[in-house]
Amino acid sequence: MDLFLQYMANGVVIGSTYVLVAVGLTLIFGILGVVNFAHGEFYMIGGYAGIVAITVLKLPVLPAIAFVLLVAAVVGIAAEAILHKPMKNHDATSSIISSFGLAVALQNAALVVMGPQPQRLNLDVSKIPVLSSLPTDFGPVFLPQQRLLIPIATVLLIAILYVVLRYTWTGRGLRAMAQHATVARLCGVRVERVAIVTFITGAALAGTAGMLMSSVFFVYPIVGNMIALKAFTVVILGGMGNVAGAAVAGLLLGITESLTSAYISNAMRDVVGFVFVILVLLFRPQGLFGKAVERS
Amino acid sequence: MLKVDSIVAGYGRTRILHGVSLEVPKGGLVALLGGNGTGKSTTLKAIVGLVAVQEGQVVLDGKVINDVPAEQRASLGLSLVPQGKEVFAGMSVEENLLMGAYHRRRDRQGIASDLEGVYQRFPRLKERRKVNAGMLSGGERQMLSIGRSLMARPSVLLLDEPSAALAPRIVEEIAEAILGLRDLGLTLLLVEQNVGMALDIADHIYVIRGGRIAYEREVGDGIAMEELQEFYLGGQEH
Repeated sequence: MDLFLQYMANGVVIGSTYVLVAVGLTLIFGILGVVNFAHGEFYMIGGYAGIVAITVLKLPVLPAIAFVLLVAAVVGIAAEAILHKPMKNHDATSSIISSFGLAVALQNAALVVMGPQPQRLNLDVSKIPVLSSLPTDFGPVFLPQQRLLIPIATVLLIAILYVVLRYTWTGRGLRAMAQHATVARLCGVRVERVAIVTFITGAALAGTAGMLMSSVFFVYPIVGNMIALKAFTVVILGGMGNVAGAAVAGLLLGITESLTSAYISNAMRDVVGFVFVILVLLFRPQGLFGKAVERS
Repeated sequence: MLKVDSIVAGYGRTRILHGVSLEVPKGGLVALLGGNGTGKSTTLKAIVGLVAVQEGQVVLDGKVINDVPAEQRASLGLSLVPQGKEVFAGMSVEENLLMGAYHRRRDRQGIASDLEGVYQRFPRLKERRKVNAGMLSGGERQMLSIGRSLMARPSVLLLDEPSAALAPRIVEEIAEAILGLRDLGLTLLLVEQNVGMALDIADHIYVIRGGRIAYEREVGDGIAMEELQEFYLGGQEH
């Protein structure tokens, strides 16, 4: 029983990463209709940006986070210019193909710049003011601060995203665009601005996830491949374009993987999510939490 | 106020409008009538900028607005109440109304008082303000759609078939609401298939056929229903 709680906690940590990556992916799809296969690379770039900021530039943690967000914003703007702007009037298939291309280009760029060897961020938590004072033992569960930080940051970021989407004009404009692009335009919502904001948000969430995870797992040029597949799993489970669904499904996937690897076999860990996806697509294609809605 | 001067427009290579001209004077209520596929909706889309005008001009307040993008026309005072009672189904009634004021979102006080104004005009919407717009009935959606346009503080309001797919009793309610808009001093262009309703409330009508204006007349100087039907239902062209 003691270990069960530890497995759950591990699942929540990894699931939080899935949430951060998948929420951006589902936003980009829901609002802009872009299927972004380069989303895993946003995560990879976030990881490398974190490593560069802390080990190369020797920045303290907060400026390092700002650096990662800045890099993510630039990546988001560039990705919008490549994946959305020239292809707004095409269907989603064009974005699938071009984002595959972008993913390969970014992976190879990372290979050239950062090299093939896996790297990890050695974060010395004892030097970080608030973080070092956090507890690491929760009854039977042990979570080092680097790991504990991940669900905390996820809750914080998702809460901020929720407030922005619900209570600000920008958020209202984004949701209106997702629901009815034409009427939103007639209300004065500018598609180009919405697109840029959406891509920056997606890249920032995934980039933060990459940075946080880089102190737990290795970062390497093609690390984004598996993450992107996991994020797509989460997006399909949660219902395409459904932010709350992605948040719940991300945690569920993380926990399921952790329990599978603990009680069934570690080799099954990456398989179980895809089995779910196939079942969901067969029996509940709108996703676990999606409503079947007619599109106009 | 609003002038459409021999516009040619369509989708891709398909031309729908072959030189449509019409004029809506300030404070007027003009109806554009026509059957399915005659170019009624396309005319409205061309006016609000959703369809590019290939030839001719759309003139608002003496200014040619052909090149103004659709998302900037709301701030010029042009607002479309779209066909099919289109609302943001997953957002609350109040959020839908607020979206109408998106282009003037910094005007907090004005928005609050306009919201109150819309609620007074359509008390049903106030009762249901927290409800998701997708849950509303057809008539309520139409009111919401009109309310959202009012939140834009338009000078010219375009209504695309407000009576479509509504029960006769509700159509009467909508017709009254439209007359109420005229009393506000709005300039109105109404696109309709419902000839009876249009003749009841409009002061000038145009009939469009095959992408051209086929007939035009003041209402009130004794329109012969047969004469109108001939154009509307497709008698010989004149």
